[in-house]
Amino acid sequence: MVEKYRHLYVVIEHEDGEFLPVSLEMIGEARRLIDDFNVKYSSNEKVVAVILGYDIQNLSKQLIEYGADAVIYADNPELKDVRNTIYTKVIGQIAQDTKSLGEIEPEYASDVKKPRYMFFAADSIGRHLSSTVLVELESGLASDINKLVIEDIEMSHQQKTGGTKETYAKTLEMYRPDFSGFLWTTILCLDNRNPAFKRDYHPQSCSIIPGVFEPLKSDSSREGKIIEFTPTIDPQDLKVKILSRQIIKSEVDFETPKTIVSFGRGIKDDPESNIKLIENLAKQLNAEVGVTLPMSKKPYQISQILDSKYMIPDRVIGTSGHKTSAMLYIAAGVSGAMQHVWGMKNSGFVVAINPDEDAPIKDECDVFIKGRMEDIIPLLIEEIKKQIQIVEA
Amino acid sequence: MVVILSEPLNIAVIIKLEPDFSEGNVSYNPNGTLNRAETKNTLGPHSAIAAHAAFFGRVMYDAKVSIGTMGPPIADLALKQAQQISDAGELHLYSDRLFAGADTLGTAEVLRVGIGKMQGKMDIVFSGHRASDGETGQTGPQTAWKLGFTFLGNVISYSVDLETRMIRAKRLISLQGSSNVIEEVEAPLPVFISIDPTYKSSYNTVSQRLAFQKYQKEATQRADNYKDYFKIFNAKELGVDETLVGLPGSPTIVYKVERVPKSTATRQSEVIDGSDPEQIRKVVAKMKEALAAMVIK
Repeated sequence: MVEKYRHLYVVIEHEDGEFLPVSLEMIGEARRLIDDFNVKYSSNEKVVAVILGYDIQNLSKQLIEYGADAVIYADNPELKDVRNTIYTKVIGQIAQDTKSLGEIEPEYASDVKKPRYMFFAADSIGRHLSSTVLVELESGLASDINKLVIEDIEMSHQQKTGGTKETYAKTLEMYRPDFSGFLWTTILCLDNRNPAFKRDYHPQSCSIIPGVFEPLKSDSSREGKIIEFTPTIDPQDLKVKILSRQIIKSEVDFETPKTIVSFGRGIKDDPESNIKLIENLAKQLNAEVGVTLPMSKKPYQISQILDSKYMIPDRVIGTSGHKTSAMLYIAAGVSGAMQHVWGMKNSGFVVAINPDEDAPIKDECDVFIKGRMEDIIPLLIEEIKKQIQIVEA
Repeated sequence: MVVILSEPLNIAVIIKLEPDFSEGNVSYNPNGTLNRAETKNTLGPHSAIAAHAAFFGRVMYDAKVSIGTMGPPIADLALKQAQQISDAGELHLYSDRLFAGADTLGTAEVLRVGIGKMQGKMDIVFSGHRASDGETGQTGPQTAWKLGFTFLGNVISYSVDLETRMIRAKRLISLQGSSNVIEEVEAPLPVFISIDPTYKSSYNTVSQRLAFQKYQKEATQRADNYKDYFKIFNAKELGVDETLVGLPGSPTIVYKVERVPKSTATRQSEVIDGSDPEQIRKVVAKMKEALAAMVIK
């Protein structure tokens, strides 16, 4: 029997004629997953890139070179900028377009209804777009994923299977780190096989954290099908007018400074003074200040000025924030949760300050200074003043 | 004050009761994960921002504000807190064991039906950026799509033209590997807005500030008697399709939760005693070396 669902669709994001890095990372991961899938199941399913925009034919070609088997593109002036309503409708149309599915694999044209899997970027655009597209397609979505595995899963579930044992073949295990970074939750999107409320839930979809997966190198010898999709555009879906777009620079700069000093829950005994200490340490090293994710949730009562300057999402180093490759990274009172480590592990020289020798950060630093930051940072500042002359960049 | 001849503005806010991450209220297990049993609950911080955005509509446009939440009976606490911020005249709690365990799609269905039960036809629905515990940020846009409302995400400011029933909004779009963009958009009402964490209301004129004070006072009075504004609905009272909510209406399940395996040490660290000044001197010398070495490279 031919299945109703085939292929992995990847929704591509681009800006000013360039791919966002996450787009190529998603294609890379999709390629790896589908190659394994095709070996494991003796199948021939495809990585299909979906791209919307205006004047994007050149980008479409490049997607093949980066690893897609096929590209479905919708090229229309109304799609020049991302607008949620029309983008959702067009992606929904593409996902259910049996004609393009037929072009990808003529032999299955009459059987395939929808993609098996679908990827979006977990950023300002993809998070919302994935949410609305999956309502349109009436299926499930897991967000902010950083690990993917395809498995046959045998399970008995009160709701999903009505308590009987069932095998869900070719199930996408979607791993998402929780806010603490210490827990990994695996999300599955499963059809309801319970006779009381049977329903198909496909595609199995997720949004993927930027920067996690490796893109493939562009290879001009790769071949694939490029399919133009002509969307049906309802004027009702064009009600949002974009009046202006203005590029802004963040006040937080993790690119230029050679040093980053970051802090986490270790400031808790006296948050106000400890942040001031860290501020001073950063000043001595002409460093930018970063924080761990829990800090952006404003866990402490501190002065408004420090609160609004430091306890903000824009300063987060980690999977839900920035990634740095600073020459010198000082982690003060940071335990070293996976999601934070991802953001700092590419740094050059890493110094951790922590009283707890069992903290995971110990395995992610070059020097582990055992002690409380209250005691250690003043000593460091003194010594830096003696030894290091920082020339402002 | 604006003289209003046109139809009044109806605003809904969807909120969530969440773990209180503030120090003293939050409790962590020894392994660093949240201890939910010991952690208190409160109105989620992003929900609070959504309530502030609704209050802006109350002050500027004399809007009527309604608040809805899906949750356990104790979620009335979050409704009261959000009323204190927004001066809402209507508080809805959608609570039923059938709703438990819903993913974002099953939750959005309950909220869609609940919003339909609110007084007046909604012009703007606000939601927070994301919940602090679940952090998916999907419920807002999914509710919007189910309502058939234009969805505007990451909104940092807005204004409404009551005559033309148009909204103007600024959105903050941040994309990895690209500059942040502020996009100004215009759309006819109704719209669904998920509010950006950086949103701040500003009241610039004397009349705005006077209206602000008036409604703030009213909000306090109302929140003191929040039960007068409060209604609780179960699945039957809402009239939801039971196959579209709770577990049956949820495509996704949590299959397993595990501790993230400790990755193999990527660095071999030298542990030093922070109370020894000589050791600190050596560390700083290494830091200096690291910075210098990189420069030459």
